[in-house]
Amino acid sequence: MSESEDAQGSEFIPSPEFLARQKRVMDAIQLKQPDRIPLILGMGYKLAEMGGITKQALYDNPDQAQELLEQAAALYQPDMIFGAWHTPEPSKALGDRMTKWPGYGLDANGSFQFNEQEFMKADDYDDFLEDPSDWAVRVYLPRAFRELEGLAMLPPFGMSLFGYYNVVQNYATLTLPPVVSALQAMSQAAQAQAEWLGQIIASNQRMAELGFPPMPFLAVFIEAPFDFMSDTLRGMRGIFLDMMRQPDKLLAAQEKVLRIQLKFAIAATRAIGSPYVFIPLHRGSDGFMSLKQFEKFYWPQLKEMMLQLIEAGITPWAYYEGVWDQRLPYLAELPPGKTMGSFQDSDIFKVKEIVGDTMCIMGGMPIPLLVGGTPEQVREHTQKVCQVVGKDGGFIMTSSVLELEGCNPELIKVWVEATQEYGGY
Amino acid sequence: MSQELIDAITDMREDDALEITDALLESGADPLAVLDDCRQAMEIIGQRFEEGDCFVPELILAGEMLKEISAKVKPLIQEQTGSTEKLGKIVFGTVEGDIHDIAKDIVAFMLDINGFEVYDLGVDVPAATFVAKVQETGATIVGLSGFLTLAYDPMKETVAALKAADLTDVKVMIGGGQIDDQIRVYTGADAYGRDAMTAVSLAKQWSGAA
Repeated sequence: MSESEDAQGSEFIPSPEFLARQKRVMDAIQLKQPDRIPLILGMGYKLAEMGGITKQALYDNPDQAQELLEQAAALYQPDMIFGAWHTPEPSKALGDRMTKWPGYGLDANGSFQFNEQEFMKADDYDDFLEDPSDWAVRVYLPRAFRELEGLAMLPPFGMSLFGYYNVVQNYATLTLPPVVSALQAMSQAAQAQAEWLGQIIASNQRMAELGFPPMPFLAVFIEAPFDFMSDTLRGMRGIFLDMMRQPDKLLAAQEKVLRIQLKFAIAATRAIGSPYVFIPLHRGSDGFMSLKQFEKFYWPQLKEMMLQLIEAGITPWAYYEGVWDQRLPYLAELPPGKTMGSFQDSDIFKVKEIVGDTMCIMGGMPIPLLVGGTPEQVREHTQKVCQVVGKDGGFIMTSSVLELEGCNPELIKVWVEATQEYGGY
Repeated sequence: MSQELIDAITDMREDDALEITDALLESGADPLAVLDDCRQAMEIIGQRFEEGDCFVPELILAGEMLKEISAKVKPLIQEQTGSTEKLGKIVFGTVEGDIHDIAKDIVAFMLDINGFEVYDLGVDVPAATFVAKVQETGATIVGLSGFLTLAYDPMKETVAALKAADLTDVKVMIGGGQIDDQIRVYTGADAYGRDAMTAVSLAKQWSGAA
């Protein structure tokens, strides 16, 4: 996604509302006390529900999606707001086997899902460790993307080091039909991605004109080294077996992907001029692994990643998915005022108590309450969150999953209004 | 009973467990007794899981060991199959629109090794398929899994479809992701569970085996 600079081009003069909203969010991130608790609304597929259209239509008609986003912004008056994530088009062009979208692997009203698989097998570690980049292009991509199968025919990438002699011997490979078609698929996906980026920039500009600063935090995202190895490579079953059967190789692979991701994140944030990196966390939450395993396989690598990002002037925004109640003392080791943390199902009051001085806390409204609660329950909970978690600032109100699909619109309204009512300092 | 085998499994010594199994079978041990050792070991691991002393990696490795040992034992007990009496029949699956299978697999597995006949319908299962399977098998319990918040409505629809098909005696449990008592009420399910052992104890209660 884009960053505020896009919205602040030469012709854009920010309105007082825009500036007030931006300052409110930025103050909270810096652990200061804003004028009132900022509210960020991730609408997600709620936009389709509001418009009475399918989720697929939301992707197919960006103009309509934009109209719905503007309607939601006008109705709820949040400090920042964003719609559905990304677009299925690049996945379609690549024959992506790891994602399913409305209209691509799911019916028109299905919700985006990540289809975790063992694209990397247990006995691939040696090849992976020897040369991860070559393994990625020639083995991994053909397995994960149907239209990229031709890349398996390429010679080892390291042969480029042979300069002219490599050109002579290997470049004819690039004319093989499966290779040509793979390169074409990549080009199509790139076009689709660029088109989407254009839409997002236009949307951000429009929202900025309406007084809503764009979300600057989602443009670059990476994962904890453990999750990186799990989500797109080994799958949860595979990675947990690796912990038990080949822990040293797993640790060595994590070290590799830690370096690769840092190199990417630092360069990417500098290129777009937005110093935020989003880190959704998956398998480190309570219940998956023991604290002893967490201390060996998850936390040191994640902590090092965050510290190096901070060192590079970047603010990591971690999304602590699931429950992290037992792990909060680890998070308190992070340097104060340098990170943001979204919390899904953790005890938000305990979060405030343990990491309230460490990081800007985001969250507060559980989705089940907005689906099946009563207006009184929503109001009461919002009031308590504002008073306890919002105390002294450093808090941004959001829903627990940064999306509102399936939520009762009346309850959303109650929540938003209660946040405005009880969120003043 | 081989305490050595039980210990090897519960201590997560996979290679030892397989070697001990081979030695037992070669020395003429009753293959059913070997399976029973596995069951006991899994029960211990299940308890530890419930008490928070072991976690998903151990559960998955234990499942792998059980699979490997079963493969060795199965050919030897082919003729004896069907002799073990089941506690009850359970139809299980991830509801329509959701393709997450990990939680479902763990729970289905724990129910299976605790003596239930589990009909696992897989993922993205329409309400009508649950109803048809219950009618076909005469199962008295249905387990609905769902990781996404979008699973609430298909869960609700499945519960309603069972009622509409006059299967009012069938008990329904839900679990998976963002599930709590509010969602249980919303979907009309009889109970919800946060982990596999809760599912096992619910099933035992409902089938009168607790």
